[in-house]
Amino acid sequence: MIKAGQIEKGTALLIKGQPFICVEREFVNPGKGSAFVRLKLKSPSTGQVLRETMKTQDNAEEITVEDVDLQYLYNDGENFHMMHTDTYEQIEVPMSSFPDYQFFMKDGETYRVKTWDHQVLEIVIPPKVLFEVAEAEEAVKGDTVTGATKNVITETGLSVRVPIFIKQGEKILVSTETKEYLERVNK
Amino acid sequence: MNETTRYILFMNMEMTRKRGEMYRSIRSWLDERGYLEVFTPSLSTHLIPEHSIANFSTRYLSEFRPSKELYLIPSPEVFMKQIIREYQHSIYQISTCFRNNEQIGDHHNPEFTMLEYYTVGADDEDSIAITEELLRETSLPGTGEHALPPFRRMSVAEACKRYAGVDLMKTQRVGELRQAALKLGLTLPPSPETWEETFHRIFLTFVEPNLPQDKPLVLTDYPSQIDTLAKKVPGNPFRRRWEMYISGVEIANCYDEELEGNTVRAFYEKEYAILCEQRGKDGTVIPDIDYSFAELFDGHFPQTSGVAMGLDRLLMVQTGATSLRDLILFRVSDMMKYYY
Repeated sequence: MIKAGQIEKGTALLIKGQPFICVEREFVNPGKGSAFVRLKLKSPSTGQVLRETMKTQDNAEEITVEDVDLQYLYNDGENFHMMHTDTYEQIEVPMSSFPDYQFFMKDGETYRVKTWDHQVLEIVIPPKVLFEVAEAEEAVKGDTVTGATKNVITETGLSVRVPIFIKQGEKILVSTETKEYLERVNK
Repeated sequence: MNETTRYILFMNMEMTRKRGEMYRSIRSWLDERGYLEVFTPSLSTHLIPEHSIANFSTRYLSEFRPSKELYLIPSPEVFMKQIIREYQHSIYQISTCFRNNEQIGDHHNPEFTMLEYYTVGADDEDSIAITEELLRETSLPGTGEHALPPFRRMSVAEACKRYAGVDLMKTQRVGELRQAALKLGLTLPPSPETWEETFHRIFLTFVEPNLPQDKPLVLTDYPSQIDTLAKKVPGNPFRRRWEMYISGVEIANCYDEELEGNTVRAFYEKEYAILCEQRGKDGTVIPDIDYSFAELFDGHFPQTSGVAMGLDRLLMVQTGATSLRDLILFRVSDMMKYYY
């Protein structure tokens, strides 16, 4: 048991027998009321999102998760296929539980995964990921307005709004939280 | 000075200039309307007991007498009401206030600036009009429509009905409200809790996040179960208290001030009992209180409505900033991060 006030982003909780991961946490003190914490929780198996408001003194059932390293192989449109790096055992993770993750994970890379009772609760994606620009529109000639942007597609299929000077084949750093372009990386 | 501090200072100097402009307009607007500006201490030997507000304490030392615990005020109300009782005059103050044990974040800082204005002869309804006029006249140039009058109005009961489907008139008993909360899918602790606690679960989960944000919103008639020094509405379970939200953030709180000495005393006793029980457990500061405060309400305290407005938050919404981080110089959380 932990106090609701100690729950953080990434904390795994058992609610009505189902595992949930905390994806957002905010403390709220209503003008004249007790201290609360507002939680957004996600069920990794069903993708269900639960909004809970708990008093910071409420008890919550924390579950102990196991961290494993899994290599991302590919997705078939329905499941992510991943492999234990030490046992080579392959597992399938429903893509619906981790929407948009196909745009952030790169084939062949290893990710830290939190599991509980053989269920994948969370795939840890770095906050910033380096992508190669796979497709880029040509910038319109004469369009020199400061701040002008265009769309590019990364090697994972993610569409990102970037400054017009970005070309195909270049590397860009993207925030996985906001899907926003951060900077060009020259390497 | 390290690089981060220098950067924050640089970024926030423009906000500092705007803050000065805002304070000057507010002061001159209130001065012109006959409010007297008052200046009361930040340190006090006693506070008004409010179990939901954690306090800071410090210690007065003297070579000649025993040391004494003093408290940093969470609001200047304790002093301002004494002035009103004696001088029967509308007053205001811009002061630094302190609240402990709140998460430092986009909308909270342990030290913040509060504008309190008390209008003698006015009630909570008048205060809406006064506040509307104040914001119309003093908002910074460039303030967005979302932060400018006219205000939208809604009662708490209406908001609960609309956004949570809960009829507060039919859920006045603890058990009824608990049923409503369970029906909404909320997880409640097995141990019984107060009506106010269950209400806040519903309000914070379903109501507050869905309140309209296109204009400032005045949420009126708070449930009487939330104990405050606002008058009760005769004949129904509400109080003459409103809160103003801008962009979903609480900006101001207003009471039609309680005038009955016995009611004030009962509030003191009840709040202090809850506060002592709670803080005895968690070890936080239990402030001294002074029951003689209730004696101010001896029949000569004038009809008054008071508004407390968070000026840091007001500056934030007027300038379109999304966090207090963007307007406070030397944030205590920035100073503290080297110690954790």
